[in-house]
Amino acid sequence: MKLIISNLSKTYANGVKALNKVSLDIPTGMFGLLGPNGAGKSSLMRTLATLQEADEGTITLDNLNVLTHKNEVRKVLGYLPQEFGLYPRISAEMLLNHLAVLKGITKRNERREIVKALLHKTNLYQARTQNLKGFSGGMKQRFGIAQALLSNPKLLIVDEPTAGLDPAERNRFYNLLSELGENTVVILSTHIVDDIKELCTNMAIINQGEVLLKGNPLAVIQQIEGKVYEKAVQKSELEDYKQNYNVISEKLFLGKPILHILSDNNPGNGFKPIEASLEDRYFSEIFGKSLNPINA
Amino acid sequence: MWYNIFKFEIKYRIKRPDTYIFFVFLFLFAFIGVDFIFQGMDFEIIKRNAPITIAKSMAAITGISLAIASMIMGVPILRDFEYNIEALMFVNPIRKRDYLLGRFLGSYAVLLFAFSGMLLGFTVGEFMPWHNPNHLLPFSFLRYLEPFVLIALPIVFFGATVFFVSGFLSRKLIVVYTQAIFIFVLFVLTKSIENEFLQAILDPFSLTTLTDMTEGWSVAERNFQFIPFNGVLLYNKLFWIAIGIVVSMIGYSKFNFNVVGDKTSKKRQQKLSNKSDSLANFKSKVPVFTRQQNFKTQSIQLAQHTMFYFKSILKETSFWTIVLCGIVIIIINSISLGTVYDVDSYPKTYFIVKELQEMSGFFFVIILVFYSGELIWKERTTKLNLIYDATPITSFINLSGKFIGLILIYFVLMLTLVAAGVLFQTANGYYNYELQVYFNGFILELLPILVLYTFMAFFFQVLLNQKFIGVIAILFFLIGNVILGFMGVEHDLLSFGGSTLTFYSDMNGYGHFLRPYLWVKAYWFLFCVIIYIATVVFSVRGTETSLKKRWKLSKYNFTKRLQSASMLILILFLLTGSYVYYNTNILNTYWTNAEEQEYQLGYEQTLKKFEHLPQPKIRAVNLNIELYPNTRAYTSEGYYILKNTSNVIIKEVHVQKLIESNVTLDYVTFEGGAAEDRQYDKYDYFIYKLKKALQPGDTIKMRFKQSFTTKGFEVSDSNPNIVENGSFFTNKNFPTLGYNRKYELSDKDKRAAYKLPIRSSKASLKDTFALQNARSGSDSEGIQLEMIIGTTLDQTAIAPGKLINQWKKEDRNYFHYKTSQPIVDFYAIVSARYELKEDIWFPQSDTIKQAVALQIYYHKGHDYNLNRMMQAMKKSLNYFSANFSPYQYQHFRIMEFPRYAAFAQSFPGTVPFSEAIGFVLDIDDEKDVDMAFYITAHELAHQWFGMQIEAANVQGQHFILETLAQYAAIMVLKQNYPEDKVKQFLALQKETYLEGQLREALQEPALALVENQDYVYYAKGVINMYVLQELIGEAKVNLALKRFLNDWNSFKGPKKVKTRNYATSGDLLRYFKEVTPDSLQHVIKDLFETVTLYKNRTTAASYEKVASSQYNVYLEIETSKYRIDDQGNEISVPINDWIDIGIYGKDVDGNKNLIYLQKHYINKKQTLLEIEVDQQPTNASIDPHNLLMDRDFENNSAYFVEHD
Repeated sequence: MKLIISNLSKTYANGVKALNKVSLDIPTGMFGLLGPNGAGKSSLMRTLATLQEADEGTITLDNLNVLTHKNEVRKVLGYLPQEFGLYPRISAEMLLNHLAVLKGITKRNERREIVKALLHKTNLYQARTQNLKGFSGGMKQRFGIAQALLSNPKLLIVDEPTAGLDPAERNRFYNLLSELGENTVVILSTHIVDDIKELCTNMAIINQGEVLLKGNPLAVIQQIEGKVYEKAVQKSELEDYKQNYNVISEKLFLGKPILHILSDNNPGNGFKPIEASLEDRYFSEIFGKSLNPINA
Repeated sequence: MWYNIFKFEIKYRIKRPDTYIFFVFLFLFAFIGVDFIFQGMDFEIIKRNAPITIAKSMAAITGISLAIASMIMGVPILRDFEYNIEALMFVNPIRKRDYLLGRFLGSYAVLLFAFSGMLLGFTVGEFMPWHNPNHLLPFSFLRYLEPFVLIALPIVFFGATVFFVSGFLSRKLIVVYTQAIFIFVLFVLTKSIENEFLQAILDPFSLTTLTDMTEGWSVAERNFQFIPFNGVLLYNKLFWIAIGIVVSMIGYSKFNFNVVGDKTSKKRQQKLSNKSDSLANFKSKVPVFTRQQNFKTQSIQLAQHTMFYFKSILKETSFWTIVLCGIVIIIINSISLGTVYDVDSYPKTYFIVKELQEMSGFFFVIILVFYSGELIWKERTTKLNLIYDATPITSFINLSGKFIGLILIYFVLMLTLVAAGVLFQTANGYYNYELQVYFNGFILELLPILVLYTFMAFFFQVLLNQKFIGVIAILFFLIGNVILGFMGVEHDLLSFGGSTLTFYSDMNGYGHFLRPYLWVKAYWFLFCVIIYIATVVFSVRGTETSLKKRWKLSKYNFTKRLQSASMLILILFLLTGSYVYYNTNILNTYWTNAEEQEYQLGYEQTLKKFEHLPQPKIRAVNLNIELYPNTRAYTSEGYYILKNTSNVIIKEVHVQKLIESNVTLDYVTFEGGAAEDRQYDKYDYFIYKLKKALQPGDTIKMRFKQSFTTKGFEVSDSNPNIVENGSFFTNKNFPTLGYNRKYELSDKDKRAAYKLPIRSSKASLKDTFALQNARSGSDSEGIQLEMIIGTTLDQTAIAPGKLINQWKKEDRNYFHYKTSQPIVDFYAIVSARYELKEDIWFPQSDTIKQAVALQIYYHKGHDYNLNRMMQAMKKSLNYFSANFSPYQYQHFRIMEFPRYAAFAQSFPGTVPFSEAIGFVLDIDDEKDVDMAFYITAHELAHQWFGMQIEAANVQGQHFILETLAQYAAIMVLKQNYPEDKVKQFLALQKETYLEGQLREALQEPALALVENQDYVYYAKGVINMYVLQELIGEAKVNLALKRFLNDWNSFKGPKKVKTRNYATSGDLLRYFKEVTPDSLQHVIKDLFETVTLYKNRTTAASYEKVASSQYNVYLEIETSKYRIDDQGNEISVPINDWIDIGIYGKDVDGNKNLIYLQKHYINKKQTLLEIEVDQQPTNASIDPHNLLMDRDFENNSAYFVEHD
């Protein structure tokens, strides 16, 4: 099972270029898609989920053309959109059951078992008869996950799945995903960098519709290892530093800005070398002045 | 601050397309507004742009369009909740007053803008070239502005406040959608209020108000008087504006400027019990399922999907609100059950079904229009669409589930309606529920059209991809279809959905109308399935919504399976269409209106020259008729004996075949031979040049054979006379001689368009040719009739004459009828499966004691009123034979026929009587007039007025035939029923007269000159005859009629024989004048020769108590009399009449009771009367029974004040 995206472009009617010649090879396993809001992550995922057209380019899932054979793709697809609502006046069990019918699980007994198992897995079993209107954000999200897992997807696309989940729920969800085994393509978008590091065997960073970077998370970090420096500065000095150094991120620690910069050589001036993280790599791609092109 | 919110609202609305759609909608609606509201109205007298016409149209259109007010006013606050920005809004430091006021005024400004479209539409509409300039007054903008401001705007204000408040208090969009219906319900409710004044005040659309206040206005007033803003109208407007203000105040105080604090948040807290699962459960494996994609799984998917949506609508309170609303309307709306002259019929299922259909139609449309939108948008509204769309369910199954779910919802409503109907029947003590009639009425008649429109609604929703625009589109489609129908697109293959099914008859079921109906529905169903496939192919899946993108995608969605299915359906569609076309247009002739007019025009232009050509008269008819009800066919073979009664030699006989394509004239031969001239074939008009010319006084035999064959089927309006059970046709179907005036184009405007001369519906009294004819195309002076009719074994065939033989042959029933004396040339043949009720009447005082067989042939089960009808026959025969002349036949038969027509018609000794007008009437002797009795008496009277004496086919003909029959019938009613029943009947006739008079396009004619105005010759006629007999005495009137009948008898009357003319109204009046004393001679002129009206008024009434049972009453009355001349001018005439003065008191039970009724001689405008009565009077009235032609009866009476 392999998903190949090549030269995918999409421009919206209002002129926004959502995707610009995106090419990715995604093998089975977890694939992380990292990027800021508006980067084109959701556009890409919707296109993969057969819900949006591309202006150019192709997507194939093994030998299946995703853009033209949508319903074939949908049979093996699990999709959790970033934003969704639920019918307020029916229970979780009923809606999940209904969605199972839509997914083609038409045998009543099978359906009952699957729905039950998924409700357990997503910790919604106790709340299964409640009307969805009363669901909290986290419960709603878990319901979304449950429906995405109906019908044993071969291609699972989850858009910001952990938004609204508390840490325990988040862990639970990741366990679920990792359980899915090796013959499923799982694409996960997030802006929580750590998620990717923990879970994904492959990743890509996209911004403004373009793929900035793709590769194995560890390899990606490896490339900037030894080039990241950190310093706590005064607020008033901030602008000076920004002009003189390749600042990739600034954080506040006890009210004082702490800068991360990227530099081939030790810049001195109080900067201390630190261990590079994926986050540094991410910020360097998004905000940093690129040093020299890095390819994974 | 409020101003900013106001500005924001306006700015927001300016960008919204619906603002303009509403404007355009109202503009277009108003554009055709007057014609829409006053459909079929002739604007000859009251002009199309008279203030009252405009005011009523505006009121009605405003009422109908209140839904728009709801959609504009209901949403401004709701919108904040919908988009969940209420929290953002309400934390701002806005004051409640500013927020509400700003939003209200902003929306109201937009609403006024939308409704200004109506004003503009009306104004522009006047200038459209298709209006007849004779129907218009000179243009004046003020005539539009005034009712717009006075009538329409207050309604709009009321609607705006109520909708605004209920919108924000309920926070439900469905309330916004449906609340206009409630106002409409309210409007319907007010219709049932008895008190006219109250009704006028409470009518939210002021329609009744306008009618009420213009009652008694003259033509000139109606045309030129602006609507005065006073009286009931003023109260009406104040009342509704006040309601609007009160509602806003309540709404203002109830509006809570908090986001939360409603019930749901408490619920939510309770429900957040969030116990964790055990880890074991979490570890459980999700079972693997086996995917199958076959027909079975898809069927299961469809079934599940359907039930899902079906249940989702069932859960909607809005749905149940609509259902409830429908039931309420049905309960409050007194169900009209085939009401004839104010008498209801038994609650037979077909009446109930018809009523239920009519009253629920609106609700079905609402459900169809709104829930089709809701269902298509259901996922997108809740934002579940991305999850949905990514599932492998096909769009076809997805849409079909919604579609069928909605259809099931219709079933729920239908079941509810059936339950309501059955309850109603039970409550009325009627237990013959006839569930199959319910089934037919809903499943066969209503469901197909709902299904078809639902297809279209889905199509529009998907294609336009905006819920609201989709709703508007389907509404336009609905209205557009109606308009297309008016514009002449009528063929069932072109007019969407085809026509409705002709109503159900107990006798004949749906008859032969069902087959074409089903074929046409199949045709449209297939059409809709093609549309539906397009709907599926173009349905939105995912985030691509632009039509261009969807067009690109369609090639993937239009799968091989769908392609082959569409091909198949397309072929079936074309085949069905061709089959229908073959039947309606090739096997049968289909005429568009235009073609029909051209033909009529051609007929008149080509053949009019023969109109006065002397032709022989039919003297004897001898026919063998074979009826085949099952195949809807007959043959009629035999001969006419023709006699030259003129004083010139007749060389050619002109035969006119009935112009109907399934009637053929197989041969026509003449004794001695004739050469056929077929140059007028096109008009089925054949000229036979006799080998031997017919000398005056000579006779000749004309043999012919005519066949009626049914080939395939015709469009909906096919012949309802030859049917499976209950055929009824007259001799007008057989060949006639000479030019037939009835084929001429009769519509006045169309004649003008073709530059044809003005055609009066009756010839003038001076037309010497017409005086010698008793009916249009008359070709007889009395005939001998002999007829053998064969029909199926289970049916009885009936024709005039004595039944001289009856036998069975080859599984058929034969009946041989023969008349024993001449009859008028007017006979009917009926055949049906009949039950028979018989009786015998013996003449009481006749010298020849010949018994008369009374027979009623009726449909099984229709035996409710047979005794009443039998009674009527006997009593009428008694009265008529004693007072007018002996009854001429030895039998009198009534035969029931299907309710395709609602009349009874007299033929010699026989009366076909529709199942709709007497057989199933539920007559309550307490409150109803016995109309079964009355109608029977009326028809029997025609055995004298019509069968013994015919009237010349000129103006006033119906005065003789119908008015006299009415007189005779009311005399029998008077003799056999209490006085108050007679008065009740007369009061109803007075109402009928006033209504007819209001609809009159031309000037109301005097009775003696009446043409086809039934409100004159039936309604006014019976009242005036009643007044005549009150003034000169019943015996005198009867004496005059006896003489008249004797002198002008069609066959042997000395005056008829001498002049060879038929009787005219002038002749009749001479007999009346003969028996009228000199002092009352002018009454004849008032009642019959002119249109004479009264304006009577009681200006003051008082009394004083003289002794314990002696009261002196003083009345000041004003009486004036005037006549309407040909031009419609009122001409005052001196009063010189005996007029009823009535004084009411209370009887022992406290009921109003006439304690004094006397005729007083009045000969001046103001009169002071002093009357002594023996009990305390309550009020007094001039002409208390409303028998004088006074258009404003209200002011005739006055309540008393007691003198000190």
